[in-house]
Amino acid sequence: MGSILLVAEVQKGRIRESSYELVTLARKLADTSGRDVASLVMGKGVGDLAKELSGKGGGSVSVVDHDLLENYTVDAYCAAARAAIDAVSPDLVLFSHTPIGWDIAPRLAAGLDVGFLSDCFNIEVEDGNLVFFRRVFNGKLDARLTSSSACVVATVQPGATPAFDGSAEGSVKALDVTLSADALRSKFVEIRTAAKTGVDLSKADVIVSGGRGVGAPEKFTEVIEPLADALGGAMGASRPVVDAGWLPHERQVGSSGQTVSPKLYIACGISGAIQHLVGMKSSNFIIAINKDADAPIFEVANLGVVADLFEVVPALTEAIKTAKG
Amino acid sequence: MKIMVCLKQVPHQDARLDVRPDGAWIQEENVKFEINAYDTYALEEALRIKDAGEADVFVVSIGPDRVTQALRTALGMGADRAVHVKDPAADASDALGTAKILAAVAKAESPDVVLMGLMADDDNFAAVGPMLAELLGASHATAVMKVEGTDALTVEREIEGGALEVAELQKPCVLAVQTGMNQVRYASLKGIMAAKKKPIDVKTVEDLGLSGQVGAESVKVKVEKIYVPPKGDKADMVTGSTDEIVATLVTKIKELGVL
Ligand SMILES: Cc1cc2nc3c(=O)[nH]c(=O)nc-3n(C[C@H](O)[C@H](O)[C@H](O)COP(=O)(O)OP(=O)(O)OC[C@H]3O[C@@H](n4cnc5c(N)ncnc54)[C@H](O)[C@@H]3O)c2cc1C
Ligand SMILES: Nc1ncnc2c1ncn2[C@@H]1O[C@H](COP(=O)(O)O)[C@@H](O)[C@H]1O
Repeated sequence: MGSILLVAEVQKGRIRESSYELVTLARKLADTSGRDVASLVMGKGVGDLAKELSGKGGGSVSVVDHDLLENYTVDAYCAAARAAIDAVSPDLVLFSHTPIGWDIAPRLAAGLDVGFLSDCFNIEVEDGNLVFFRRVFNGKLDARLTSSSACVVATVQPGATPAFDGSAEGSVKALDVTLSADALRSKFVEIRTAAKTGVDLSKADVIVSGGRGVGAPEKFTEVIEPLADALGGAMGASRPVVDAGWLPHERQVGSSGQTVSPKLYIACGISGAIQHLVGMKSSNFIIAINKDADAPIFEVANLGVVADLFEVVPALTEAIKTAKG
Repeated sequence: MKIMVCLKQVPHQDARLDVRPDGAWIQEENVKFEINAYDTYALEEALRIKDAGEADVFVVSIGPDRVTQALRTALGMGADRAVHVKDPAADASDALGTAKILAAVAKAESPDVVLMGLMADDDNFAAVGPMLAELLGASHATAVMKVEGTDALTVEREIEGGALEVAELQKPCVLAVQTGMNQVRYASLKGIMAAKKKPIDVKTVEDLGLSGQVGAESVKVKVEKIYVPPKGDKADMVTGSTDEIVATLVTKIKELGVL
């Protein structure tokens, strides 16, 4: 049997948690199918991190250490990953579905002319074959897929498996990759962190969020904000609301907005796409109001209401005001 | 500047989705389709570049007859012309097959920039952009929120938590854009009238020299089935009249001690 190559990601001088989630998944697949686990660590001055990974389940770790890998660029990272793939000849290559993973994994698959699967929440071995599970239609449906190619590249949804925290001795080998700045078709300029604003949702005890189902900007003022006010909480939103300019970006909850964990989160007219869920699912208590009984938001909610938000939310606001006296 | 914009037609965001009998995809009959939301931002960005200077903007879509509607809308918004790859063999492609078809169109046209969506709202692959760039030997960026410049392009791509990564890309390049990068225009009545005279060039897989290389027989990834996700047992569903629902919610909220 072949091997599984997982591509670890270095962020702020550490190996990302999601890379250790890949370790868990790779080891599970390796154990059930007799494959070996191999890893790649790339960056500048990452020798120690490679060593760390080799002691924590990463198996045979290849390390590509190069000045041009200090900051992410598509070409340099693809070249390093491709070198590791050529050296290891894996039949499965795993990345985390992160801004770096989703940027290079499909590109590598196209270069290799092999199958590609993105954002898998699980991979299993069935009768010796790899089976991939991922969400489609923004979480409304799940899909089961297989690939016929000898090697498959996949990205895995962060948080889908627990991070490996055991120890298992592996090895580290340096891999030489020739990179030249002139050959890179894109240049890193800088990272701009999100501007600090007046609204810090992470401090609120109660957040009432509205999604595309709220339908119009004035409905936030008329329906969502009064409930947030009655509860002494803050108002949040899903991405389409911010994209449409109904509310400013500082209100956005989710993977590209704020991560919150209030005592109470009320989601109104939000379907529950994974990118929203990662920003709020660790809330202490979640109430979801959605007219679609199949909306994925109900999978993370503690209390669910299948109803028109325009009937329930104003009535709830009045009842809260009365309850407070 | 020559700009190619890739548009996919996907089920309307509020469409009811039913799994078709063979289980492998949704039933398309009676489903209303629209241009993939991400792609509308790509088209808008191309039209803004054109408004600010000079550009030839053409749109490309792979899909059955219904796709004509999407192309007409794009022409009505201001695109100059359209290419419609209409061939059952093309429709059955996986992401790599789709990228190969788009690459064949791009090679014949040599655009300076390809603008497309980060992700299609149906298959959620977020794969075709980087794949297309690789097949063209071009640079790329995904989750693009801003494009500036004419020679080398400075792009801002969204990374986690709302942070942005700024990069400079050589042309030709492929930009897979994120939603919210601009405010998308509507097609004006005048635009829609003018669009009637704009050409839609229909092509088959054979026309593109890809016979046997894309479509059902060549897929490397096969959807075996799609299904409604198994229900977890997480949410307690509150039922009853609005008054009953509200009473239950208030009791719970009081228990949580947040009032
Ligand atoms: C890289 C990336 C990053 C992203 N980051 C984020 C992020 O940070 N935050 C985020 O939220 N999304 C993010 N997204 C977008 C995400 O994938 C979804 O598109 C988005 O979360 C959907 O928002 P929504 O639930 O408001 O809209 P929809 O999915 O359109 O859902 C609207 C819901 O409203 C319900 N509804 C309609 N009318 C009513 C009514 N009258 N009463 C009750 N219910 C009603 C409908 O049943 C539906 O479930 C990101 C996507 C990508 C690819
Ligand atoms: N059939 C198609 N026709 C034209 N463009 C497409 C097609 N499929 C995908 N694309 C483009 O590729 C992007 C990413 O799609 P995907 O990789 O399927 O998530 C979409 O947003 C479109 O811009």
